[in-house]
Amino acid sequence: MTALALSLLIPWAAGVVLLLADGRLRIVGWIAVAALAANLAALIVLTADVLGDGPVRVVTGDWPMGVGITLRADALGVLFALLSTVALLAAMVHEILEGVRERVFPAMVVLLGAGLTGTFLTGDLFNFYVFFELSMTAAYVLATYGGGRRELGAALVFTTVNLLGTFIFLLSVAGIYHITGSLDMATIGERMRAVDPDTGILVAAGFFVAFSVKLGLFPFHYWLPTVYVGSRPAVAAILSGGLANIGAYGVLRFGGEMLPRELELAAIGMIVIGCASILYGALLAVSRRTTREMLAYSAIGQVGYILVAVGIGGPVGFAAAILYTVVNALNKTLLFLTARMRGALVGAAFVVGALSVAGIPPAAGFVGKLQLFHAAAGRPTLIALIFLGGALSFVYVFQIYQYDFWRGERRGRRSGRPQQAVVAVLALAVLAVGLWPEPLLALSRDAAQVLPGARR
Amino acid sequence: MKLIFAVAISALFGTGAYLLLHRDLVRVVLGIVVISQASVLTLIAASLSRGNAAIYPLRGRVSDPLSQAMALTAIVIGLAVTGLLLVLVLRAVVAYRTQELDEIAAEEAARDEEEERSHQVRHDDEEAAAR
Repeated sequence: MTALALSLLIPWAAGVVLLLADGRLRIVGWIAVAALAANLAALIVLTADVLGDGPVRVVTGDWPMGVGITLRADALGVLFALLSTVALLAAMVHEILEGVRERVFPAMVVLLGAGLTGTFLTGDLFNFYVFFELSMTAAYVLATYGGGRRELGAALVFTTVNLLGTFIFLLSVAGIYHITGSLDMATIGERMRAVDPDTGILVAAGFFVAFSVKLGLFPFHYWLPTVYVGSRPAVAAILSGGLANIGAYGVLRFGGEMLPRELELAAIGMIVIGCASILYGALLAVSRRTTREMLAYSAIGQVGYILVAVGIGGPVGFAAAILYTVVNALNKTLLFLTARMRGALVGAAFVVGALSVAGIPPAAGFVGKLQLFHAAAGRPTLIALIFLGGALSFVYVFQIYQYDFWRGERRGRRSGRPQQAVVAVLALAVLAVGLWPEPLLALSRDAAQVLPGARR
Repeated sequence: MKLIFAVAISALFGTGAYLLLHRDLVRVVLGIVVISQASVLTLIAASLSRGNAAIYPLRGRVSDPLSQAMALTAIVIGLAVTGLLLVLVLRAVVAYRTQELDEIAAEEAARDEEEERSHQVRHDDEEAAAR
C-alpha cells in the first residue's frame, strides 16, 4: 500500500522538481539517479509484498470501490515496472557519465519512469491511457535529445506516428466503454464475456494496432529504424528497453485479461504477424553494417518472438512471452549503450549481449529461446522458424562484432572506466539470468497466472 | 443520434488522415489535431447517446456523465501534445530551413548513402591489401 503510493509519488514529484534545475550539472543528474533508485527500492518492496500476500489494490482518494480509480499491483505489473526502471536507470547513469547535453534530460527520464510505473500499476483503463500519454510525452522530448538535425528528424517521425497510435488507442477505449459501461479492467474482463465477439474484435484490433506501433512489429515498424538510429545511444536504450515494454504489456494485459476470447480468435493472425516480424527483422539486420542499424532491425525481429508466444497463449505461452520481454529489454539496453563505446570491457559486454540475442548459453537469451521452444512444442513449423530466426540473429550480431571489434571500425575515444562499468554490470546481469534462471522463470510463471486468459 | 455522431467522427478522422499524408509539416500537425478531435468526439459519443444531458434537475433517462470527464482529460492531453509537436516542427524548420518532409527525408537518404559509400571504399581497400 505505502510502497505502491511511493513508487508512483517519488518519480512524479522528483521529476517535476528536477525540471526547474539545470540537468547539465552533475549533481542534478545524480539527484535524478537517486530518485529513480528510490523508486526502484519502493518497487522491490512492493514486489516482495505482491509475491508474499498477493496483489495490492488501492482506490485513490478514498472513493468507494467502483467509483474511484483503482491502482493495483500484481506480479505482471511489478515485473514490468521493475524491468523498465532498471533499463532507465542504466541508460541515465551511462549518459550522466558521458556528460548530459540538455537541461531537461534527467527530469524527462525520471518523468518517463513515473509514467511507465503508473501504466503498469493501474487497474483503470482510462488511467492507463493518461499514464501512457505521460510516458509518451516524456519520450517525445527525449527523442529530440542531442538537438542535431538527425535527432530532430527522428523525433518528428516518432512523435507523429506514435500520436496516431495513441488516438487509435483512445478510439478503442471509447468503444470498450460504450460496450461494457465500465473502465475497471477486471470488470471489463467479466462483462466482455457477454459481448458479441464481432464487436469485441473491432475494439481489440484498435488496441492491437496501437500496441504494435509501440513494439515496432512488422507492418507497423516503418518509423523504428529512423528513430533508433537517429537518436543518441542512451535514448535508443531507453526507448527499446523501457518504452517498448508498454507494447508487450498492453498485448498481454489487454489480450489476457480484458479480451481473452478475441485473443483466441486472433491467435493465428498474431502468430503470422510475429513470424513476419522475425524474418523481416532478421533478414534486414543481416544486411546492415553499422551497430545501431543492426540493432534497430534486430529489435523488430525480437519482438516478433514475443507476439508468437502470446499467440500460442495458455500459461506456457504467456510465461514465455513475459520472460522473453524481460530478456529482450535487457539485451537491447546493453547493446544500445555499447553502440558508441570503445574499450576492453565494451567488447566483452557486446559479446555477452550478442550471445543473448542469438540465444546461446550461458547468456539470458538462451533461457528465453528455450521457453519459446517449450511453448511451441508440437508445432514443427514454428519451431523451425524460431530456429531459423536464431541462426540469422547469430549471423548478424557476430558479423557486426567482427566489423567493429576485430577490424576496429569503431571510431571515437576510449570510454571512461565508470561508463564501461555500467555496461559490464548490465552484461553480468544478463549472464546471471542465463546461469541462474529459476527466480525469473518463477516470476514470469506467476505473472502469467495473473491473466485469466492463461487459465485455460 | 448515433448515426450523426458516426458520420461526424468518420468525416473528422478522414480529414485528419488526408492532412497527415501531406508533405507540409504544419499540415501534418493539423492532421494530428483533427484526428485527436475525432477521438474526443468518440469518447463523448460512447455514452451521450443514451438519454438526456446529465444536468440537474435530472429528467427521465440520463446519459452517463463520466465520458465528459474523459473527454475533458483527452482534450487537455491533446492540447499539451499538440503544443509539443508544434515546437518540434518549429525546431525542425529552423534546423533544416524547410517545411517539407521530402527534403528532410532526402537529406537522411544522402547521409545514409555517404555512410554506405565510405564503408564500401574501406572494404575495397582491405580487399586490395589482402590481394
